[in-house]
Amino acid sequence: MSDDHGHHPHAPSDLEARTLALESLLVEKGLLTSEAVDAVVTSFEQDIGPLRGARAVARAWLDPDFKARLLAAPKDALTELGISEHQVEELVVVENTPAVHNVIVCTLCSCYPWAVLGLPPTWYKSAPYRSRVVIEPRAVLREMGLELPDDLDVRVWDSSADIRYLVLPERPEGTDGWDAEQLASIVTRDTMIGVAKPTVPAGVG
Amino acid sequence: MSEVDRRVADLDGLPRKNGELVFEAPWQGRAFGMAVALHELGAYDWDEFRQRLVAEIGQHADEEYYASWLDAFEQLLLQRGTLTPDEIGRRTREFSSLERTEVF
Amino acid sequence: MNGVHDMGGTHGHGQIVVEEDEPVFHERWEGRVYGINRGARAAGLYNLDEFRHAQERLPPVQYLTSSYYQRWLAAIEALVRETRAEVRDEALPERQVEASFVPGDRVVTRNLNPSGHTRLPRYARGKRGVVESVHGPFLLPDTNAHHRSLDREPVYTVRFEARELWGDAAEPRQTVSIDLWQSYLEGSAT
Repeated sequence: MSDDHGHHPHAPSDLEARTLALESLLVEKGLLTSEAVDAVVTSFEQDIGPLRGARAVARAWLDPDFKARLLAAPKDALTELGISEHQVEELVVVENTPAVHNVIVCTLCSCYPWAVLGLPPTWYKSAPYRSRVVIEPRAVLREMGLELPDDLDVRVWDSSADIRYLVLPERPEGTDGWDAEQLASIVTRDTMIGVAKPTVPAGVG
Repeated sequence: MSEVDRRVADLDGLPRKNGELVFEAPWQGRAFGMAVALHELGAYDWDEFRQRLVAEIGQHADEEYYASWLDAFEQLLLQRGTLTPDEIGRRTREFSSLERTEVF
Repeated sequence: MNGVHDMGGTHGHGQIVVEEDEPVFHERWEGRVYGINRGARAAGLYNLDEFRHAQERLPPVQYLTSSYYQRWLAAIEALVRETRAEVRDEALPERQVEASFVPGDRVVTRNLNPSGHTRLPRYARGKRGVVESVHGPFLLPDTNAHHRSLDREPVYTVRFEARELWGDAAEPRQTVSIDLWQSYLEGSAT
């Protein structure tokens, strides 16, 4: 699926249109069912989209100048990485530091930065998260497996308008010498929403 | 499904993250799914698709992986006479212009 | 409107349920709902703000017990019924207001309680905050959802202290930043 809350509907890209056409024709001719395609995809699926955000985070960790550009003008910085399908009016990147932890929500519906994070998880769109993270974020994060120290600020961002948010997580210890691909592999969707921190898998490093 | 799993897993270059396949956009998943599903239904041997895929990637190394996948799949369908260029062109234009938005 | 959709700070919705390895691609009908919505919006049958408001207007029990795409489908059905699938041909005002605030300004949100569409959450009405940044101008949903105008206004990211929103028992060292259209705000001395 594409952006759920983009402000401007757009025609499919060439690749999208061709793919739709093929499926449409094959189904029409009785050669294939969409359910059969679904079944294949379901068995192989993985998050779409978060890879884009993850690449930007990894690059920001490696390159302080890029990080500055990412924070100042995110869409332009993403274009540098070849990511141009933004489909959002405006993107803001908020940086986690030892003093500040950011977390994103849309209390009114489920606005989400699809273009860089792929599809929103069901919990993000559901009432428990939408209702609770603005009033008790530390408790919510604890429940979701993230314990935050008392001596930092928690900033919740409620995406009530056309601006979409992405959290730039802190680079964890134990990643010295890692290249961009290795770093991107530990930047998950949840770390860019702000409900988790990137971790180094045991036995790696 | 396990036979297809192994053969799909043997394909070099499939975009992966932590070992799992990654689709950056829904159309990639659909293209992947169609090629595999049609094979499972007995329309062609897996190698018939795989060889075209390898050739496509070889000829267009700069292209994103699933663009090559889509090209290879389309060629396979054309060469087998399953679909005609006309049909594909027309239906693609219908989707591009938003005249059609549903697959069926 | 003060509907159940406006749930920031409400209680009783239970635990957050995280489904491991949840399906990314939805059921086939959900994809079709997505396609229908995109086509309808492209045709100008309704706009994004109307679409959101149509979801908000679902009966509360239906809203709360429907899945995400079930709400979409119900909203589209309602809009198709209400518009009779006819695109409105209208000349609406398209004004744009000058920005009244700059980063650092202290503001207070108005106590607005429209029965129509708004993007000012109930938990943040009549509350004092500080402007962090200025964005837009964006179409004002309160009028766009009802085809009253195509007016655009600056949108401000306003930061509120948790204690301001929730009282003294709020979690310490917490803020909530909300993106608010200019007409939701007034200048504040404090």
